[in-house]
Amino acid sequence: MAWIMKNSATAPVARRAEPYLDEATKALLEADVIPRYPTRRASTLPVLHAVQDRHGWLPTQAIEEIADFLGLKASEVLDTASFYEMYWLQPKGKYLIMVCESISCELMGHEKLMEKLHHKLGVEVGETTKDGKFTLMHAECLGACDTAPCALINETLHEHLTPDNIDALLDKLP
Amino acid sequence: MALAEPVLCKRIPTAPWGDPTDRKLVTYEQFVATGGYEGLKKARALEPKAVIEVIKASELRGRGGAGFPAGVKWGFLPPEDGKRRYLTVNADESEPGTFKDHMLLDYDPHLLLEGIAICMHACRLDTAYIYIRGEYHLQAQKLINAVKEAYANGIFGPTSLLGQINGRDPACVVHRGAGAYICGEETGLLESLEGKRGWPRIKPPFPAVAGAFGRPTIINNVETLAICGPIMDKGAEWFKTMGKGRAAGVPATVPASFGPKLFGISGHVNRPGVYEENLGIKISELVNTYGGGIRGGKKLKAIVPGGISMGVLSADQYDTELDFDIGRKAACLGLGTAGVIIMDEDTDMVPVARNIARFFAHESCGQCTPCREGTGWMYKMLTRIEAGDGTTRDLDLLLELSGSMGAMPGTTICGLADGANWAIRTILNKFWGDFEKRVRKERYVSLQVASAAK
Repeated sequence: MAWIMKNSATAPVARRAEPYLDEATKALLEADVIPRYPTRRASTLPVLHAVQDRHGWLPTQAIEEIADFLGLKASEVLDTASFYEMYWLQPKGKYLIMVCESISCELMGHEKLMEKLHHKLGVEVGETTKDGKFTLMHAECLGACDTAPCALINETLHEHLTPDNIDALLDKLP
Repeated sequence: MALAEPVLCKRIPTAPWGDPTDRKLVTYEQFVATGGYEGLKKARALEPKAVIEVIKASELRGRGGAGFPAGVKWGFLPPEDGKRRYLTVNADESEPGTFKDHMLLDYDPHLLLEGIAICMHACRLDTAYIYIRGEYHLQAQKLINAVKEAYANGIFGPTSLLGQINGRDPACVVHRGAGAYICGEETGLLESLEGKRGWPRIKPPFPAVAGAFGRPTIINNVETLAICGPIMDKGAEWFKTMGKGRAAGVPATVPASFGPKLFGISGHVNRPGVYEENLGIKISELVNTYGGGIRGGKKLKAIVPGGISMGVLSADQYDTELDFDIGRKAACLGLGTAGVIIMDEDTDMVPVARNIARFFAHESCGQCTPCREGTGWMYKMLTRIEAGDGTTRDLDLLLELSGSMGAMPGTTICGLADGANWAIRTILNKFWGDFEKRVRKERYVSLQVASAAK
């Protein structure tokens, strides 16, 4: 999971004047998150979650700002962020569809569901639709094996999925 | 003998005592009105050491997979030195086939919080971190709300009935993970809690001595802590009336299987779900009584007894009892999380093995070479076999790989490689025919033989 090789040393970093981690968010985190842990570094995961919740993904500039905020090096924050599946280091669509592909879901018909999604969205796993609305991903076990097959669409778990009901589900999303 | 009354599912309607469609979130008021936090009050009236003695006497074994006696683990902590000590709760449930903690967190989070408070009192721990997996968005929110209720009602915080511990107000924090199975390994979880990548640590030192932030730390599974409240309320003897118990003639020093357990049934059954039963129930009884039998009246082909890393059982092991001795009795790794997956006669075991290998290849953290490379190559070989391009040599190599990777102690830091090799090895050994008919026969001439022929 953590072995994406690229030459980050010479890659240009896109920057913008407006910070990703603004003063209001910093104050909120300083009051609510930082005191929970004995070290500032321990707040890395919650801070990454907070920034990603606001911006949808974690640009390099945001990683640098988080590192400054936590008193770490940018590489240390990137090291953590790149290890976990849920942190996005490139932009994703408005809706992230994570279809569980673990054993119970595969036994219960995950393949038909994926066929339907490929056909409907016209994208492969890991890609975003051209309109930027949907990103299709696989997930390992989502802990809903009794209601398989299941998928997580943004923060909502959808259970007992079939090619028909996922079609209707996606059509309903604004 | 079936469980007389639900313990963990007391407030969560579960067959045969209730209808699962009636499940609702249990609030603090409802929890207290139905006897909740009574166990904590009784524990609070006791000296911390006496609480540990009760848990030890109950012979409660960890419900997270390894089955280590919880009271013994609690007793490992060094004496207090006035500095901070931590409890971390493992709610990073992500083993395929396992969804028991999902249900507890969804409907009865206070049952967990009661257990947390009892453990903090018994072990003198000032802060509890509940490490909940990132994918459980809704459950994390429910847990955060429940923790707020607990703070407001004097379970944690400055008004806590526990009083100050290590000179601090008892605190309970929900810490969200970000999607990594390896963070369910206890030291991987600690690394992740500290804000680093979730790479398991070399042990010793064990977490009880130097865990989170280098301080003594207890790590327990959600279900283990959830059962502590009822044990403190009704006593160790009551707990030991449930479960399989100790067979005659077995010395008391050998850990046995006492108490109720949550079993998750999924796969090809009519009524998949989480059910509570005595430890030691037969798989066949569990599937027929609770799971409603195999879907479509089909025959059984294979069973995963407790999450995929525990290995796979064949149909002739249908009557195996699900208890902590299952590993020895049925030649699998152990009970694991008791997430039972049933596969019917139409299941092809090649894709099953490929799926399981993919899971481990995907979730290997990459720290130790045998696991990083071994799981990856197992997945590649199984993909090839599934596509029809495999040879008999692939099967031999697969068997050799799954028999050696992580099996030698000390070659990998954690047990992930061991789980992967048990799963693949048991499938290969028990369903060899499924694999053999998919591959081409290839004679293998070793270099040694070739050079001798010259």
